[in-house]
Amino acid sequence: MRSTPVGPWLRLWGAYVRWTSRWPALAALVPFVPVVVLWAVVAESGIFPRVFFPGPLEVIQSFGKLMYNGILPAYLEDSVVRLAAGTAVGMALGIPIGLLVGLSDRAHRLLWPILLFFQAIGDIAWLPILLIWFGFGLGTMTFVIVYTVLFPVVLNTVLGVRSVPIELHRAAQSLGASRARVVWEVVLPGALPNIITGLRNGLGYGWRALIAAEMIVGTSGVGFLMFDARRAGSVVEIMLGMIVLGILWYIVDSWVLAPIERATGQRWGLVTR
Amino acid sequence: MGTGDTVKKLTIENLAKTYFDPFAGTQVTAIRDISLEVGAGDFVSVVGPSGCGKTTMLNMIAGFLPASGGQIRVDGRPVSGPGPDRGVVFQSFALFPWRTVLDNVAFGPKMRGIPKAKRHEIAREYLELAGLAHAAERYPNELSGGMQQRVGVVRALANEPDVLLMDEPFASVDAQTRMTLQEELTRIWQERRPTVVFITHDVAEAVFLANRVVVLSKGAVLADVPVALPRPRAWHSLIEDDAFKSLSSQVLQLVRSA
Amino acid sequence: MRRHSRLLAAVSFTLPLIGLLVAWEAIVRAFDVNPRIFPAIGPVLQAGIDALRDGTLIAHIGASLARIAIGTVIGIVLAVPLGIVMGVSPAVSTFFTPLLRFFSVLAGIAWIPIATLWFGYGFGAITFVIFNAVFFVVAYNTLLGVTSIPMALRNAAASLGAGPWQVFVEVLLPGALPNIVTGIRTGLGFAWRGLIAAEMIATNVGLGYMLFVARDFYRTEVIVLGMIIIGLLWLAIDRLLLAPLERATIERWGLVRAA
Repeated sequence: MRSTPVGPWLRLWGAYVRWTSRWPALAALVPFVPVVVLWAVVAESGIFPRVFFPGPLEVIQSFGKLMYNGILPAYLEDSVVRLAAGTAVGMALGIPIGLLVGLSDRAHRLLWPILLFFQAIGDIAWLPILLIWFGFGLGTMTFVIVYTVLFPVVLNTVLGVRSVPIELHRAAQSLGASRARVVWEVVLPGALPNIITGLRNGLGYGWRALIAAEMIVGTSGVGFLMFDARRAGSVVEIMLGMIVLGILWYIVDSWVLAPIERATGQRWGLVTR
Repeated sequence: MGTGDTVKKLTIENLAKTYFDPFAGTQVTAIRDISLEVGAGDFVSVVGPSGCGKTTMLNMIAGFLPASGGQIRVDGRPVSGPGPDRGVVFQSFALFPWRTVLDNVAFGPKMRGIPKAKRHEIAREYLELAGLAHAAERYPNELSGGMQQRVGVVRALANEPDVLLMDEPFASVDAQTRMTLQEELTRIWQERRPTVVFITHDVAEAVFLANRVVVLSKGAVLADVPVALPRPRAWHSLIEDDAFKSLSSQVLQLVRSA
Repeated sequence: MRRHSRLLAAVSFTLPLIGLLVAWEAIVRAFDVNPRIFPAIGPVLQAGIDALRDGTLIAHIGASLARIAIGTVIGIVLAVPLGIVMGVSPAVSTFFTPLLRFFSVLAGIAWIPIATLWFGYGFGAITFVIFNAVFFVVAYNTLLGVTSIPMALRNAAASLGAGPWQVFVEVLLPGALPNIVTGIRTGLGFAWRGLIAAEMIATNVGLGYMLFVARDFYRTEVIVLGMIIIGLLWLAIDRLLLAPLERATIERWGLVRAA
């Protein structure tokens, strides 16, 4: 039913809604435009000294320079590789431990308080003692990331394992599955949404631990880049580092991890926290 | 039947509503032209096929949506925005989960600034009316759907609104509970005689409850059918009653032809 | 009885930890571990007593707790109203959600270098990092919480006569509370880690500093002491502050937290 003709602004709005519902990524980008503009205006106005508050153009220039001379790609690669390696080990250790603690009441009673306590100590507090044990190097950093990723993965895996209804265990067993197969065919898939939540949380803490470790201990990586720039007093590179980190993690979390989490949860009709 | 008041409780004049649909890229007409008068103490049921505009109309009377044309007046005063003079009962119950049943019912009086002792007294009185005095200290999530909606009804009534608007209030409840709630509603209405506008897609429910059934179609009033069945009304007697059956089928024909 | 089961729970919680202590002492003795690599319980306790006696332990703990308390309180006080205001209108909340999400994703540790540049070394920079972590995460979660409140609840309040301020206090705040509490938990987690990291780099008092300087002198027993204290402090925050908060709000009202 048509009544009044639609004005040009409304037509524009209609086009915007249609586009962003097909490509939600667009909707995520739009709000940043005025923010960047505001940033440029504030920086130009000189309210804060340029030394402390550079504008977006300077950051982009620095980005270009660091990309060109290869420093940024190299540091990024270092950071990402460390994070990926640590995460892989963390998952490889964490999921089995989580399965064990989740499935066995005795293991749970014995280990749960210990897990909570060690998680409470936190990853970064381990750095000094790790430096004494392994010195300044890859070993220290990998340990920290593995430690950081381990606990959320274990805790969430336990949650997921315990949330699989007992009827599913029983159904599998009365269909002839051995204990091992029950774990592989029922418990693991059932806990998968929670495991992915654990991975998400673990990575969230993990990249922060990585940056901290690179600042305190590192010789390369984005955290080191920012810390070194701080020592040289170069704000532009600090901001560049932060923005690169933010964009990277935003992309990984929103467009890779969250959809996977939702897909496994929804696909199998499970509720994720 | 409505009394012979010169100022009707609720007047709707040439109400119209259009909105912009970004996916179609055009303006869509939800309501073409509705004019309606409701007298004090009337119980009006509004029925119609999906998309006929009945929920939109209710939202506009309640003040949740602005009108694109026409006017709505309560006791002669034009409506703009929600307010305690138009109480609403929601399909989803909309009870505040962080407040007890008693505090939920006392909410309206609290907004009017009535002190705690007095408003708790008022709330208990209304809970008594709905037979829920024993549930006063419970939280909504501890109650069944039927009980929650009874709380919803008396919460709106406790505020003594000029008009009580009910938006398919029993649609989320199972069939048995629904019949019980319908009978309770008529009992409460007979005791308190609020002015009620009741939206439903269930024709039998509409006829059971009301003394007037308005049929909407494509955004306008199609028919206005008086219901002169005696009160009190009970399902076990009415379900076999010839007058009820013929009225129901008459309204049903109207809705289907809409 | 309630108290009986609480006591039982506390005991069964500490029992494995005591077992850990026993295992620790046993391993160190059995393998004759170099005290520089890992001390026995005795030296750690001694270091603790010494540090208590000369007041340094109190100073470090006090500094860390002060920073986290101030940063967290200011962060919450500013973030909650802001998050609610941003969440009220669908258009505004759609606009701010990606922005707040970006900043909450970045919150905490990544701000250490720029914080020390802006505020110099010391209390200001560290408290800023803590504030930053709490503020963005809580604001983002508050925003999510408000947008998840069913419109019917807000309409119900309005049609019962609530004005805008009353809707804020009676509907928006309680309705968003579960998400706010989740945000506080996450933000505090980031803030705590940011605190320790920042204290290692940017100051000369605090638990992080205590750990880092002990490393320079190979005083492993001080490091282990510090780690245990950090663990106990966080457990205390979690069990004594966060868990009761979550119990009082989320579980009591039977609300389901939105993801």
